[in-house]
Amino acid sequence: MTAREKERLRTGLLFISPWLLGFVALTAYPLLASLWFSLCDYSVLSEPVFLGTENYRELWRDEVFWLALRNTIVFAAVSIPLGTVLAIGLAVLLNQPVRGRGLYRTIFFLPSLVPAISLAILWQWLLNGSVGLVNEVLQWPLRLVNAIAGTSLRPPDWLNDPSWALWGLVLTGLWGAGNAMVIYLAGLQEIPAELYEAAEMDGANAWQRFSHVTLPLLTPVIFFNVIMGLIGSLQTFAVPYILTNGGDGPGRSLLFLATYIYQSAFDYWNMGYASALALVLFLLILALTLVVVRFGEKRVHYAGR
Amino acid sequence: MPDADHIARRRQRWFAVLLLVGFSIVFFLPFAWMISTSLKPLNETMTLPPRWLPSEPQWQNYPDAMRAMGPFWLYARNSLLLALLNVVGTVASSALVAYGFSRIEWRGRDSVFLLLLATMMIPFPVVMVPVYTLFRELGWIGTFKPLWVPAFLAGAFNVFLLRQFFLSIPKDLTEAARMDGCGEFRIFWQIILPLAKPALLTVALFQFMATWNDFLGPLIFLVRQEQFTLALGLQNFQSVQGGTAWHWLMAASTLVVLPVVFLFFLTQRTFIRGISTTGFK
Amino acid sequence: MPAVAAVLALLHLAGGAVAAPATADGRVVVEYWEKWTGLEADVMQGVVDDFNASQDRIFVRMLTVSRMDQKMMLATAGGVPPDIAGLWAMYLTSYVENNALTPLDKLAREAGLREENYIPVFWQMCTQKGHLWALPTTPTVTALHWNKKMFREAGLDPEQPPRTLEELEEFNERLTRRAPDGSLEQIGHMPQEPGWWTRDFSNWFGGPVWDGGGRLLLDEQPSIDHFRWAATYPQRFGGDDMNRLRGAFGNFASPQNPFFNGKVAMIVQGVWMNNFIRQYAEPDFDYGVAPFPTPAAQPGAPVSIADCDVLVIPNGARHPREAMEFIAYTQTRAAMEKLCLGQKKFTPLREVSPGFVENHPHPYLQTFIDLANSPNVRPILALPTVLQYSNDLATYMNLLLLGRMNPDEARAALQERQQRALDQKTERWNRVKDKRLAQWRSQS
Repeated sequence: MTAREKERLRTGLLFISPWLLGFVALTAYPLLASLWFSLCDYSVLSEPVFLGTENYRELWRDEVFWLALRNTIVFAAVSIPLGTVLAIGLAVLLNQPVRGRGLYRTIFFLPSLVPAISLAILWQWLLNGSVGLVNEVLQWPLRLVNAIAGTSLRPPDWLNDPSWALWGLVLTGLWGAGNAMVIYLAGLQEIPAELYEAAEMDGANAWQRFSHVTLPLLTPVIFFNVIMGLIGSLQTFAVPYILTNGGDGPGRSLLFLATYIYQSAFDYWNMGYASALALVLFLLILALTLVVVRFGEKRVHYAGR
Repeated sequence: MPDADHIARRRQRWFAVLLLVGFSIVFFLPFAWMISTSLKPLNETMTLPPRWLPSEPQWQNYPDAMRAMGPFWLYARNSLLLALLNVVGTVASSALVAYGFSRIEWRGRDSVFLLLLATMMIPFPVVMVPVYTLFRELGWIGTFKPLWVPAFLAGAFNVFLLRQFFLSIPKDLTEAARMDGCGEFRIFWQIILPLAKPALLTVALFQFMATWNDFLGPLIFLVRQEQFTLALGLQNFQSVQGGTAWHWLMAASTLVVLPVVFLFFLTQRTFIRGISTTGFK
Repeated sequence: MPAVAAVLALLHLAGGAVAAPATADGRVVVEYWEKWTGLEADVMQGVVDDFNASQDRIFVRMLTVSRMDQKMMLATAGGVPPDIAGLWAMYLTSYVENNALTPLDKLAREAGLREENYIPVFWQMCTQKGHLWALPTTPTVTALHWNKKMFREAGLDPEQPPRTLEELEEFNERLTRRAPDGSLEQIGHMPQEPGWWTRDFSNWFGGPVWDGGGRLLLDEQPSIDHFRWAATYPQRFGGDDMNRLRGAFGNFASPQNPFFNGKVAMIVQGVWMNNFIRQYAEPDFDYGVAPFPTPAAQPGAPVSIADCDVLVIPNGARHPREAMEFIAYTQTRAAMEKLCLGQKKFTPLREVSPGFVENHPHPYLQTFIDLANSPNVRPILALPTVLQYSNDLATYMNLLLLGRMNPDEARAALQERQQRALDQKTERWNRVKDKRLAQWRSQS
């Protein structure tokens, strides 16, 4: 390296030194330590004791782990597509030339800013099986269906019914679609109007314009949002934790990997086991992200590349 | 434009308005419900069928809730203190680091940046336990330090955001200054930073929100009651033995949401612009 | 620059926020974390105030902390424990095995506290592995509470509680009423209400679920009978029906408590129930208390579960001697009676002042005292894995009571999983056992 290059290297490293320190102390060291703890029996008040792969063997046998894994994947698999459709739909609506767009945009966006604690407390109330708003609203369509089909359907007791609790949580998540919506809206506004005009001239109707012009050009944004959403939803902890008053829901239906990690670490004081679980979560996120990236590489259309 | 097209467009617009209004109602209802319940007397919160409006708005629910929650203002002060510290730390460190990744050419720069990007994929639960034990060794459990010192170590996301912005500033500005013999830090301080004000404001906003909303951090690192943030205080309030006081809980929840809403209205455009630009690499 | 000054000011504010170790007049400050809120906290605060006023060397500062069990562990693990913590007895084993507590043998001996002064079961709950770890504050035992008005309406003698479990089930059938559409309007008894002692319920069927060492006894007859008895409920009343009935129950501390508003006629509850009845139920609410019955095949002294709030000194507390001074104060007859009378409970001490029982507001206090002294009183389950066990038990029991799992499956699943968890803890304990016992011996 020339003297100038060395000089620049030094300056560059100096500028990024806060991040370097953080990387070593809060990322690299913890990752390695996590790996070590996962091979030990560790309760914070005593020294870690090396156990080999015992924690991983226990994990394999532990049906609660498999349940947590299943819940985590199902939750992500359901809420990401639903959230994406909702966010894109809302963005498309907001992209129309109607009056008061700013107001609508605010109403849709605001819920995504609400702190997890307030959100969870509010939805704990909204999803209450007897006096909650959701069931109050659901009554009307259900009565209609009952009248027509002669059934006696009743709205579910969301937070006490093992089959419905997860859906209640999905509903809670959908309320926060405003965040992604804003990004999609920006993406929509980047699409040049001429493309739509050209499509119209070729005789395309609204749906065709959407699927042949809008969607393909939106794919980079969708790609980004799906990845962000994946990483986020696989780590879900705060809202279900507060929703269940620190528990894991009826029949463990709201137990996610992050919840189980927290429980093992700070409720049962099995920090070794918690570390093993955490590493599994990490691998899960890596694997699924890679899958999405692979899938996306072929489908994402980058305009002008 | 031919008439048929015009009518079709108008129909489309009305349809859009219908859907917008419909969805707005659905999205707004929970807020309305939260506020309405916060103004009800306790016996009206558990009625069947649920009441929409309180018979008489109980404004005293708010001071009552604050009192029942415990040291409400102390918690609020703690939340505010942490939020401000985090904002200062994040803006300062992220700007420095982003400058290093964008305005200086040094060997290996882009590979290290890829490493930074990769760290965004590491979920907090993975580092949670070792970080806890690290802070314990340092004797920081029982202080605020675990909740603000990391902000001074530049989070990946904010560095990423600022770097994109810094990259868009024309190179000639810095080149000219360098040729005049200006030191890097001076260039950073006097040229880049002033130009980056909107981006810095965005980072500050996001960080304020993130810290204000943070739950897991305080849950693990704060043990002394007098250090709790609003989020933790609210959770204690939720799990009081002997039954939930929904009216107070809603009132307290509303109070915790208010600063966020207030901040949003103040800085709407910056906020929205900031969120939109995160979607673009 | 003003910006820098502001940042420095912020940092200064942030670095602090840890309380000073001494008061203005040089007293040692003892940090006391307690789980109680409301009335119960106020009563203890009164005792604390008395102590602070009675001498000038120590100032006890009481703080109400929610999720006490978790916060205390976090604080102790983090190296900043309080000097005194008010815990539940069932967490003692887990804390002891994790080396989170200071053994109290020497300190208690020096303060003159002796086993003979206490009702045996409560002292028993405070000792583990041959050492004393805690001292009791307010005790309870569990008993059957029944709604006399509902008995009358069902044609039962309101003064005659069921004497056997079979009789209870007969009464149950007569006390249960359904609405015209088939849903439940009121029920005689259901294990889910309140469901606070499911862990210990096998005792009514003849034995505990834990042998006190490394083995769970879920495949013994008492547990088999317990789970099968619980499974008769969804069969007789319908799992979903019971769930819907529960959905309409109000908060425990409110007039909508199902025992107060006529939804459930018979429940198992502790000595505090009278307080809630006085506060929330109708003024003419008429109820009785008696031992909760065992099956006819298990005659003998009445069975009851004893539980206790205890005071401990965490490992690493800064002022253990001063802490013990306060704890010893709470164990004197005067302070203890003030505390227990204030919370309307009986005392864990064997002897009480004359007139304590007669002038006590609880109409059935003597019943509880008799149960606490019964040869068949059992201490609450204090597994080292108590939280994991409780979580699993709650999950399986819920499914069982919904009718979605059969009792033997549920029991076997619980035994298998929790025995593994217990084995893990046992191994962990065995590894450090000798070291710990030696360490504790030297501290005593």
